[in-house]
Formats: sequence, structure tokens, C-alpha cells
Amino acid sequence: MFNIQKKEIENILEKYIFPVLPPHLVTIISAVPTSQLAYLIEIRLRVNRPLLLVLGSVDIMLNSVGDIVNNLDGAYLCTREDINKILQAISKNSLYAFEQELKMGFLTIHGGHRVGLAGQAIVDGGEIKALKNISSLNIRMAREIKGCGDTIIPYMITGGKRILSTLVISPPCCGKTTLLRDLIRQISIGNNEFRGQQVGVVDERSEVAACKNGIPTVDLGPRTDVLDGCPKASGMLMLIRSMSPAVVATDELGRAEDVCAVCEALNAGVSILATVHGRDINEVLQRPHVGELILHKYFERYIILSDQPKMGTIEKIIDKEYKILWEKG
Amino acid sequence: MWLKLTGGILVLLVCSWIGFRLAARCSGRPQHIRQIISCLGSLKSYITYASMPLHEALIQCTHGTSGPVADLFQHTATLLEKNCSLSPQQAMSIVLGDMHGRLMIKEPELEIVNILGANLGIMNRQEQGNYLSMIIEQLENIQVEAARLRDLNTKMYRYLGICGGLAIVILLV
Repeated sequence: MFNIQKKEIENILEKYIFPVLPPHLVTIISAVPTSQLAYLIEIRLRVNRPLLLVLGSVDIMLNSVGDIVNNLDGAYLCTREDINKILQAISKNSLYAFEQELKMGFLTIHGGHRVGLAGQAIVDGGEIKALKNISSLNIRMAREIKGCGDTIIPYMITGGKRILSTLVISPPCCGKTTLLRDLIRQISIGNNEFRGQQVGVVDERSEVAACKNGIPTVDLGPRTDVLDGCPKASGMLMLIRSMSPAVVATDELGRAEDVCAVCEALNAGVSILATVHGRDINEVLQRPHVGELILHKYFERYIILSDQPKMGTIEKIIDKEYKILWEKG
Repeated sequence: MWLKLTGGILVLLVCSWIGFRLAARCSGRPQHIRQIISCLGSLKSYITYASMPLHEALIQCTHGTSGPVADLFQHTATLLEKNCSLSPQQAMSIVLGDMHGRLMIKEPELEIVNILGANLGIMNRQEQGNYLSMIIEQLENIQVEAARLRDLNTKMYRYLGICGGLAIVILLV
């Protein structure tokens, strides 16, 4: 389970989130007691709907002075102006510079915090060309929790040096990226039992390394190279050719080309550390493309995460023969 | 006698200065419009080809330009960078207000500059490029007219200043 520090969330809000929110929203959120804000994982804003703070597995509505309310009547309702102001601040008045991100439905702000978007899609030839009239925003807090992968690391190493290819499986908002970040850091640093390995990270959404001008703003260890904003499939192959890493890490596999790139990397003698959405192995098996990776036993370890009782709970560590190596007590 | 002479010279100098000042404004207008057009051309490239964030593009586009036009773009960029909640139009209005008198542009081009601010940064690259091309085209038309007026009026203002001064001196003496 992730131990969340009050100071950490205060720091995240002050440094990364408040600068992109209109002043009145900052006032409202600041009024929430820090003891509750420590569990903040999302800020959800929808036009003409209440401002919601997601604290762990529950969400709360706030009124215009920041008090928690239980019904819609007293809740602060977000306006289109609020959404537009936030978009303006996030994009620094340069929405044109985020065309690709808008197509994918999210923007990433400094610190690796992802802002999900929903609105009206403009479709051209069956493909999403852009999003307009954006009416919902979901600001997700990215956290750096050092040591959250301590339980897993011993199960990922074989022969004192080789890292086993590992797939982290979890539903959204259960801490996949936070765990991935810590695993990368630990593999890169090494410990008494294994030497640090060269790690290549393909950070398509700038979430894992939270790069600013190409330099990671979170600690990913001394032997980590980051390919920021690059599509996973081409990025993985590019890293293998250019940086010869022992381990390639990436977030959220899903597309057919990602799966092809993983197969190619594994056959090139590189270990893969990746995450995927799903509740358990059986669920991921049903997914097109990614299911084939499990079916053909490309990964040697599976980590199942959940948010019960708290975000980042490790449910099971499973080997390639589906034997449970570790289970939550 | 000396007093009259000194007074006459002073009146002549002041009137000539006013005439030359008006002539300078008249000749400065097409120059400033031309500089704005040049900056907008660069801005368009930085936006459409380099996808550079607006505040950076506004600074980069002034390379090779100096004076009030460069200040207009640079100060707007600084304001936008410092205050995320300001829109480009608000930032540009504030800067234009602060630069009162330094920028030798008139109502038609001022109106275009204001409209430019209202639509910067909210379109996709292609539309932003098209929009800037349209603004540039409008400014080019105004520049042609401003150049015609410059050729017509610059000398007139200078002569008017000197001759007007002489006429006042003669009438007073």
C-alpha cells in the first residue's frame, strides 16, 4: 500500500496543480483539511456539474468556500469559463502545440500529472482529428513513492543479475505508474543482491519520468535513459538500437504495434517492464493483442494491483506458469 | 529687439519641431506596420512548423526587429509567461495601453492587432497559420495605403511646420 505524506500532496498542489487553476478554485480546494487532501488522487471538473475531489475510493463535493457538502444544491458548479481558463493555463495559451495530446484525450502538466479531457470529438475519415468544446477535465495526481516496489523486486531478479520481464496489471487509479516508477528506480540503482542495470524508459505520455525539457523531474535512478513523448512501439526499438538497455520500461500497453515491439524487444535479449489495464490475468487474456503476450508466455512475472483497501495494494505476484509466488495476507 | 529675435527663433523652432514630428509619425507608420508583418510572418513559422509555445514564439519572432514593435511582442510574451490566467488579447491590450504613443500605428491596424490577440493560441496549427496569413494580408493592404500617405504627407508636414512658424513670426513681429 502507498503511504501518502501530507507534505507531499501540499507540495504537489502548490507547485504543479494550483498554478493551472483559477484563483477561486484554489481557494476552494485549499480550504479542505490537509488530513483529507493527503488522500487526493483526482480533481474532476465538469461544466455545470459540481467540483469533485476523489480521495482514495470516495469522492467529495465542495461549496464555494471549500466546505464539504453532501448534495448538489450547495455544491460549487464548475463553469465553462473555469474549464477554458484551466486549458489556457495548462497549454500556456498554445493549444496548437498540443494537437497530438488533444487527439489522445489528455495533456500532461509539469510533475507528470495527467489531465484527462472529454468534449466533442471532430472526426475525419473515421479518425479523431481534434477535440472541441471540452467540457470535462480530470486532473490526476502523479506521486513518487520510493520503496513501494520493495516487495516485488526480489521476485523480479534471477541469477543475481537478470531482470525478469514483468507485467503490472491493475485497473485505472490503482497506482500502476507510481509502482512502475519505483521499480525502474530500484532496478537502475541496484542493491546488495544485484547490480544496477541500464534501463530505457519509453514515456509516451510524459507521465513516468515527468520530463521537463527532456530531463526527468522524478528520481528514476542513475542508469536510466528516457525517451520522452515518443510512441511506445517505435520508441522501444529505437532505445534498443541506440542505448542498448538491459531493461526497457513502458506504461500502458494496448495497441497491436506495442505488442509487436514487446515481442521484438524480448527476442533481442532485453527484459521488458510494462503495465496494462485489467483486474487480473484472465481479464487481460481476453484483450486483443495484449492477451497474446500472456498466452504465449512472453512475461515471466505478473504483478496484480488493486485499490483495496488502499491504492497501490499488491494483490499477487505470479510467475509465467500462473503459479502464485506471493499473495496479500 | 533681441527679445523679439529670440522669441521669433523659438516660435520657428517649435513649429518646425511639430512639423518634423508629424512627418516622422507619418513616415514611421508604414515602417511599424512592415515590422509587425515581418514579426507575424516569423510567428506563423514558429507556430505552424515548430509548434513552439506562444510566449516563446512571440519572443523568437522579434529577432532582427527592434524598437516599439519588438517591445510589443516581447512584453506580451513576458506577461503571458508570468500570468497564466491572462489571455493573449488581455496581455496585448495591457501592453498596447502601456506603449501609448510609442507605436506609430493608427486605428485600422490597431484594430487588427487587437483581433489578432483574440484568436491566438486557441486554434490548431493549420487554422492558426491560415489566420495569421489573413492578418498579414490585411496589414499589407494597410501598409500600401500608409506608404502612399507617407509619400504624400511627409514633406507637407515638414514645410507646414517651418512655413507655419515663419508665418506666426511675421504676424507677431
